[in-house]
Parts: sequence; structure tokens; C-alpha cells
Amino acid sequence: MSEFSLLDYAPIGVMFLVAIGFAASQILVTQLIGPRKRTATKLMPYESGKDPVGSARDRFSIKFYTVAVIFLLFDIEVLFMIPFAVAFKELLAQEKISTIAFGTIAFVEIMIFISTLVVGYIYVWRKGTFEWGLQARAEARAEAKEMVKEKNRRIRETQRVA
Amino acid sequence: MNTILLQNLVNPNVNLPIVLPEMIVALTGVIVMLYDSFVPRQRSVTGAISLIGLAISAFFLVSMWNDAPQTGWNGMIASDGLRLSFTIVFLLVSAVTILISSVWADNEDVPIGEYHALLLFATFGMMFMASGNDLVIIFLGLETLSIATYVMAGLRRGDLKSNESAMKYFILGSFASAFLLYGMALIYGATGSTNITEIALKVANPNFPALLLVGGAMMIVGFGFKVATVPFHVWTPDVYEGAPTPVTAFMAVGSKSAAFASFLRVFVLGFPLIAGVQASEFLHESWVTALSVMAILTMTVGNIAAILQDNVKRMLAYSSIAHAGYAMVGFIGAGMAKNMQQRDAAIAAVAFYMLTYAVTNLGAFAIVTLLGQKNDRRTAFEDYNGIGFRAPALAFTLSLFMLSLLGLPLTAGFMGKVMVFRPALEANNLLLTVMVIAAAVNTAISAYYYLRLIVVMFFRERTTDWLAPRIPTALTAALLITVLGVLYFGIFSDGVIEKFSKSSVGTVFKAGTRP
Repeated sequence: MSEFSLLDYAPIGVMFLVAIGFAASQILVTQLIGPRKRTATKLMPYESGKDPVGSARDRFSIKFYTVAVIFLLFDIEVLFMIPFAVAFKELLAQEKISTIAFGTIAFVEIMIFISTLVVGYIYVWRKGTFEWGLQARAEARAEAKEMVKEKNRRIRETQRVA
Repeated sequence: MNTILLQNLVNPNVNLPIVLPEMIVALTGVIVMLYDSFVPRQRSVTGAISLIGLAISAFFLVSMWNDAPQTGWNGMIASDGLRLSFTIVFLLVSAVTILISSVWADNEDVPIGEYHALLLFATFGMMFMASGNDLVIIFLGLETLSIATYVMAGLRRGDLKSNESAMKYFILGSFASAFLLYGMALIYGATGSTNITEIALKVANPNFPALLLVGGAMMIVGFGFKVATVPFHVWTPDVYEGAPTPVTAFMAVGSKSAAFASFLRVFVLGFPLIAGVQASEFLHESWVTALSVMAILTMTVGNIAAILQDNVKRMLAYSSIAHAGYAMVGFIGAGMAKNMQQRDAAIAAVAFYMLTYAVTNLGAFAIVTLLGQKNDRRTAFEDYNGIGFRAPALAFTLSLFMLSLLGLPLTAGFMGKVMVFRPALEANNLLLTVMVIAAAVNTAISAYYYLRLIVVMFFRERTTDWLAPRIPTALTAALLITVLGVLYFGIFSDGVIEKFSKSSVGTVFKAGTRP
């Protein structure tokens, strides 16, 4: 093991400096050159988002959670596949000159990994997680039908009265 | 470039057959999951698939039984006595849980396919907790198990109690996992390795002895939560009461024995006593003392609190806390063993204890499930009033399980207790002797509430009408397995213990006696 030296961590320090500098410069520049129209909406922390003040017990659709979980699934997939892709060429080259089939093993392993994820994908697909658009459309159609019915009924009633 | 890389590449020494039982369980879980998503209206097919998968896995496990202790995946997986004996317990627990839950699945609207898949994934996690010879694998196994059980505890979506149970278990369980993980990180910092065999070599000369102690303490918190030892037991009664009864049975037996498997592997095999080395002696003495005190507290608090309960499920929850205490007696006996044979015998004793506890408790929970009716409405002691002579088969079986939990001779519970108390007595240590005496006194205390259920069933008048429930076939099978288990392990225990007594991976052991 080599000696511990704080200088080895200098790149991390530089990254911190850049991060702080970026944040500070953004705030500073917008303060200096940004146009100012102070309306109530503009002053909200999230201008086009949710109202930040209110009951924390608001109900919102469970679909947001399922989408978040599926996002996680595929996010992790990429996280593992990029290092694989970077190393794969080298591993194939190694396979040619050594007795151990590094490339093949790596390929089979990543395939097992992907197929496991695909199983998860098929599962959420079969369980109808992706159908919220269709579902909403079906609901809207049913609602429209009800409205038409209601309208017709009213028309008939007015005709009867007349 | 090429030559440099070649040096860095290690031979992927995978030894695939060593994890075959685990892989089969995981594959079965995936098949069950897919089957359920394509055929959503089934009630029993996934259960059958799961049982077949567990049986195949058990077959491969048993076929490995006579192999010498070995490791695979660069030492991350160990196949030794500890792994084999605990894994067979897990497979049994999982199979019996599936049989028990068939009753519940028929009466209630629960997503049964998802339940079976989760149960298999939990079993998969448990198996890795027993076979993991690396802190990382143990943690992964623990999380796989935990996440699956959090969901299973809340499977009754419409029931507020079940929701509360899942939520409490999730929040407290994540907290405990965080402790465990931090402990593992500190141990890694102190020893420079996550491999338990290497940690055992390194405790004699750690990089930072203080980190080793703090890390060990944090891991005691994490594992102590999972096995439900005092003072980390507070979640147990609430979670066990609210969860669906078959899931409670699984948590009380499966999660507990899995946590014991990892707990044993990390502490007994990872932090051994190396005579004449100060760091190792200090670490060993610290954890043995801490766990001894915890064991005494666990038994006492568990038993005394169980006396006060009016709900059978809560009573069984406190009884499971007390039983964790008894198992810890054997665990500490393994830690204090003077040579490898004694240590392996003590580990086998703990595994055998978990086996006896598994058959007994699963049987008891099977009957509680059946009598609880829909949504577990009937789980108070009053609901058992006077059913003894109206449903004699059920009442006598439940009485047998209560007597076995109490530890009456000729039942499995008795042999289990004898086996775990023996190594602690053989250690010839004052603290351990006190602990065994406390355990004996506690066994006497526990007679009160176990016998109370029998008294309630046979000698109380019932004021309301009661019809004996029909016993479904699957439940009959579960009861048959558990009753035979209780009697067989109680009477012919020698053969099983002999099978369990195999040497463990991790051969660091220098005979050392403590002054």
C-alpha cells in the first residue's frame, strides 16, 4: 500500500470548488442580469409545480410510485451496463491470450443480468403499470358517455314537459 | 496495457454448483412471478410450483451433504455444517408456510401468486445469509429477506393492523439494517477485509482495535433486531400481531433462524478467541459478555411479558423473544468452545434448536391460522374457551405444540433446550452457568402461559356458539409434518444432530482458555 497523502484527494477538492463556484455564480448572474417581475406566482419556490404549503396528507396517484420504482430498475441496469461495455473489448482481447474465457463469462453474466431485468419488465407490463394512459382514456370515454346520456335524458324531460 | 490488465484480472473461480440450491429457489420465484402475471386468477398452482422448487433445492442441498467444507466465488460463499444445517431448516420452514397459507389464501382476497413469489425470494435471501462467508453477501441476503417480509407483513391491504405492522417493521427494520451496515463498514475499516475468514485472521492484529469493538457493537444491534433480542425486541409483538398469521409464522421462525445463522457466522467464526493476543481476547470477551447479558434479559423479559398477554398471537410473539434467548445460550456456548469439535457441535446445537423451534412454532401458528378465521378476528385467549372437546384433534395437537414450546421431555422442544444448554455448561464459566440457570428458571416461568392456553381450551366454558372448522388438506399435511417432527426430533434426535455436526469453514482456532 502506498503512503497516505492528502494530495491524492485534490481532484475531489477541485470538484467541490467547481460545484460551489457553479452554484454561487448561477445565483449571482441571475441576480445581476435577470429581469424582475415580482408576482405571487413568480415568488413561489416551484413556479409551475405543487403548492409548497398545505397539508402533507394530500392524496396523489399511486402510479407515481410505480413509475419511480420502474425508473430505478432501468437506472440501475444502465449503471451496470456501462462499465461492462467499457471493459468488454479488453476482456475479449484477454480471452485470446489467456486460458480463461474472460470475455465469454462476462457476456453470459451480463445476459443473465439483463434477462432478470426483462423478467421484471414483463411482470410490471402484465400487471398493467404502463396502462394508465389507456385507463385514463377509458375512464374519460365512460364519463363522456354518461354525460351524453344525461344530456339526452334532460332533453327528453324538457320535451315531455313541453 | 494488456499485460498490466492480465495481472489485475483474477480467475473467476465461481464454483457454480455450490450455490445451486439458492439458484433453484430464485428461479422458482421468478417462474412463480411470471406465471402469476400471465394467469392471475389461480389460487393454488403457484403454491404447487413453489413446493416443487423447494423440494428440488432440498434434493441438491442434501446431495452436497457429505462434501468436505468448501468455499466458492473467491471465498464469498461457504458450504459447511453451518450452511447446510440452517439451509435445510429454511427450506422446511418455507414449505410448511406455503402449506399453512393455503387456508388463508382460500378465505381471503390476497394476491396469492405475489405472496408465493415473495416467500421464495425471502427464502433465497435467508439461504444466502447462511451461506455467505462475506459481510457483503450476508447483508445482501438480509436485505432480500427483509424487503420481501416487509411486503408480506402488509399483504392484507385493507386491514389497518396489517398496514401498521408492515410500516413499523419497515421503519424499524431499515434502521436496524443501517446499524448493521455501519458496523460492517467499521469492521472493514478495522480489518481491511469483508471476508469472514480473513477477518478472523486479522482480529489478532487489527488496524484499529477501537473500530473493531464499535463495529462489533453495531452489528450486535443489527442482528439483535432481526432475532428479536431484548432490548431490540420492541417491534416484535406489534408486527407479529398485525401481520397475517402464516406470515407471522414465517417471520417468527424463518427470519429468526436466518439471522442466527449470520450472527453465528460473523461472531463465532469471524471474531474467535486467539489465545495470548490482547486485541482478540478483548474483542471476544466483550461480545461474549454483552450477548450473555442480552440473553438473560431476553429470556426474562420475553417470558414475563408473555404472561400478561390476552392475545394468542402476541403471546407467541413474546414466546419467540424468549426462545431467541434460549438459542443465544447455545450461541454463546459456541463462542466459548475450547476446541473446534466443541464449537462445531455447539453450532449444530443452535441449528437443531432452530429446527425444533421451527416445527413446533409452525404447527402452533397453523392452528392459530385456522381458528383465527377471516382477517384473524379470533386470536384472543377467550376465543379458545372450551374448544377442547368440540375439536379434540386440533386442541390436542395445539396442546402438544405448547408442551414442546415449554420443553417437556419426549418433545422436540426438550431436546432442543438440552442441546443448546450443554455447550454453555461445558464452558465452565461463571457467567455462562448463571445464564443456564436463568434459562432453567425461565422455562419454569413459561409453563404458566403455555399451560394457560391448554387450560383455556379444555376447562373453560364457552358461552357462544362455536363450530369446529373444517381442516383443509394442505393444513392437514402441515400439521402432520409438524407433529411428526415434534415427536421425531424429541425421541430420535441423535441422528439429526449427528447429521448437523459438520465442521465449519474458517479454521482459525488456537485452543485458548480464559483465566
